Amino acid sequence: MESTFYLIGIGFVFGVAGWLLFLWAVRSGQFDDPEAPKYRMLDDDDEQQHPDKSGKHE
Amino acid sequence: MSATEVPHTGMVRCEHCLQEIAQNSAVSSVIDGQQHSFCCHGCLGVYELVHSHSLDAFYSQRCDWKPGRPAFAKADAADFADQVSSNGRTSRIDVALAGIRCASCVWLVEKVIGRLNGVVSARVNYATRRAWIEWQPAFIPLDEILKALSDIGYTPRPGTQAASVEISADEKRDLLLRFGTAGFFSMQLMLFTAALYAGFFQGMESRYRLTFQLISWALATPVIFYAGFPFIANAIRSMKGGGLNMDVLVALGSISAYSYSIARIFTDGEVFFDSAAMIVTFILLGRFIEAGSRLKAGRALVALTELQPGEAMLIGETGEATLVPLERIRTGELIEVIPGDRVPLDGTVVEGMADVDESMLTGESAPVLKTSGNQVYAGTSSLTGHLRIRVSGDARSTMLSKIVRTVEEAQARKAPIQGIADKTAGLFVPATLLLAAATFAWWIIAKAAPVTAVMNAVSVLVIACPCALGLATPLAILVGTTAVGKKGILVKGGDIFESISQTTTVVLDKTGTLTIGKPSIVDCIDYGVSDRFIQHCASLETWSEHPAGKAIAASWKGARLDVEAFRTIPGMGVSGLIGGEAWHAGTSALLEREGIQIDPECRRQAKQLENEGKTTVFVSCSGRIAGLIGLIDDLRDNALEMIASLREQGLKLMILSGDNEGVAQYIANKCGITEVKSGLTPIGKADEIRKLKAKGETVMMAGDGINDAPALTEADTGLTLGTATGIALESAGVAILNNDLRLIGTLFGHSRKCFSIIRQNLAWAFGYNMIAIPLAVSGLLHPIVSALLMASSSLVVVGNSLRLRKY
Repeated sequence: MESTFYLIGIGFVFGVAGWLLFLWAVRSGQFDDPEAPKYRMLDDDDEQQHPDKSGKHE
Repeated sequence: MSATEVPHTGMVRCEHCLQEIAQNSAVSSVIDGQQHSFCCHGCLGVYELVHSHSLDAFYSQRCDWKPGRPAFAKADAADFADQVSSNGRTSRIDVALAGIRCASCVWLVEKVIGRLNGVVSARVNYATRRAWIEWQPAFIPLDEILKALSDIGYTPRPGTQAASVEISADEKRDLLLRFGTAGFFSMQLMLFTAALYAGFFQGMESRYRLTFQLISWALATPVIFYAGFPFIANAIRSMKGGGLNMDVLVALGSISAYSYSIARIFTDGEVFFDSAAMIVTFILLGRFIEAGSRLKAGRALVALTELQPGEAMLIGETGEATLVPLERIRTGELIEVIPGDRVPLDGTVVEGMADVDESMLTGESAPVLKTSGNQVYAGTSSLTGHLRIRVSGDARSTMLSKIVRTVEEAQARKAPIQGIADKTAGLFVPATLLLAAATFAWWIIAKAAPVTAVMNAVSVLVIACPCALGLATPLAILVGTTAVGKKGILVKGGDIFESISQTTTVVLDKTGTLTIGKPSIVDCIDYGVSDRFIQHCASLETWSEHPAGKAIAASWKGARLDVEAFRTIPGMGVSGLIGGEAWHAGTSALLEREGIQIDPECRRQAKQLENEGKTTVFVSCSGRIAGLIGLIDDLRDNALEMIASLREQGLKLMILSGDNEGVAQYIANKCGITEVKSGLTPIGKADEIRKLKAKGETVMMAGDGINDAPALTEADTGLTLGTATGIALESAGVAILNNDLRLIGTLFGHSRKCFSIIRQNLAWAFGYNMIAIPLAVSGLLHPIVSALLMASSSLVVVGNSLRLRKY
């Protein structure tokens, strides 16, 4: 039955990890603008599509 | 730049705020031949402005400037000096406040500031979080008023629109952090709570029980004291101010359940950390949704004021034109407006002629011809010609800013509808507190141990914990809003269902609401002078800026003919050469000017069209009349169905229009509505609504233009369409996104249902309290029974609210 305590501990670590991720996301402004990202994919001058970095052909 | 140190490689410092930023994300600009880098366009703008005023000394003299983006949060009376207006005896200021969280905050600020000696009146606008304060400077300096505001926890900020939006954005982010935290911890907490409940029935080793209880305690603590901090702070603040609001109830319920549970751990009893945490989480969710819609409302108001250009072409005494900021233009000076531009300030035309689109002010779709001596208004746009305007007042006295002010003042005056939940909370808090005190006294008198007396008193507070009460309204509203949302109706707040279900009169705007808002061709009389008459007309009108011209151009989908020597004659029409023939399209005056004969038969037909409220375009070809085109801004599809369904529901109908009488009457006759008022100004529309309200009617206003915004705000419910202007969308509480007018009828049915579910929910919540509270007072309530009662009462409320989904 000792395993219960370990499981609680592991569950807690995951929970806190999720919470910290959330804190990071809010603080870095991930939720600030829910509107703009859906239009961003329509931008032509997107540098991410550089062929050297896509790694598809390697 | 004394604070500047050499930045890291690849990094630069913003030259305005000294914030360090990556080189490749910097905003660069060449000013006076030198390359400058900034962290954002805002800083660049500030820098340019400072530079253009030759105030660069600011950058060399500042020494205690810490790197960081500008925040404008100081409450120094000097910062507000330019917003104070004075009439000798009293002064008035309009200031943005940080920290306004709820309707009760509005009340608190108004009370506290209003009671200061020397303050004549204080009003707070909930939507824009701005305060209007009028005071007598002889009795109280502004400094003291600002200090009083910060003392009660509201930071005054200089009242620009942008600043008030910035406050909302900060608060929304703060709420999201708190709500997210509360959510994560509550979820973890529920796991352990479920185990504890199971343990209660099945039996549980005491070391597990104690561990689980202690973990629950640890998990609930951040929810109550971090996530729930705003409630606690507000509750203390509002009790100090002598008022009781929903926050007091939430804080009281959660803290008493929390401390009761701690005591129970040590007396080997059951804990209720879950109730304490859940109430905080749910109510934070409601506040978060509300903050989002308020942020949008604030941004729309900013967008509206931006309609007015920030600068104007000033004509000097020697006739030279210079572009100057609006603030520098004095009354009586001369400015120029070119075709396609908006008029920057109100004034009188002294030279030139143009068709001016005034639809934003009047709702009238047809442009108005402006010549010497005519009044023009800021924000309207010249479609066809150059105008020279003698300015009659500064930027604050324009018709447009009057509309903005009317909307804001109406919002401030209109007390946020005290929803049924707030009303009950106001009664419920003192009643619960009294009951808890009485319980304590009863047990002391009955010579029980003080610990028992305290525990019983606290258990009364726990039982009265507004779990179901706090859920009753928000949940029904959330489900109700989502259900109508799927049909294309956007409802912005819960109070709206309440006011819709009580509506007795529906006021409709004509242009853009009942009608499409643009003229379309309804009559076309071809005299056979030229074949392909309509193709010629459409080709001729291709470049026309006039709405009637655009409608004619749009009516022909096929190939266009080449038009040479195209010309726009302001206020009259257009002309051009097609295949060597001279074509004219416009008013009868245009044809007369060109010496073209209009025969009596044609005149009779034109007269008939005009009597029907139609705009008539005369077309001529090579000096002969070729045909007549009649246009009207026609009824939307479904308008008649909507009117029939509203009549069926026993609602009174009325049309308010800024348009002229003929057109308004034509539309009214078509709909069978007898109550029509036409030629109204935007403020006139709001006045009509106020008159109706004074007669005891509960009014819904449906409109879509800037000119409807004051009326939409003034009405109990404002309804607008998806194609409406920004200000109308934000002044109104309801928007029909797909413009299907039949949905108005649906909305009425749904609101009544939603409101009745709210009432049922409240009845359930009270019913449970009625049973449980007496048991708690008597000390007979078994902890597990109370937990079950609380959980089932919440479940009933949830289940009942979900019924709305099927509507």
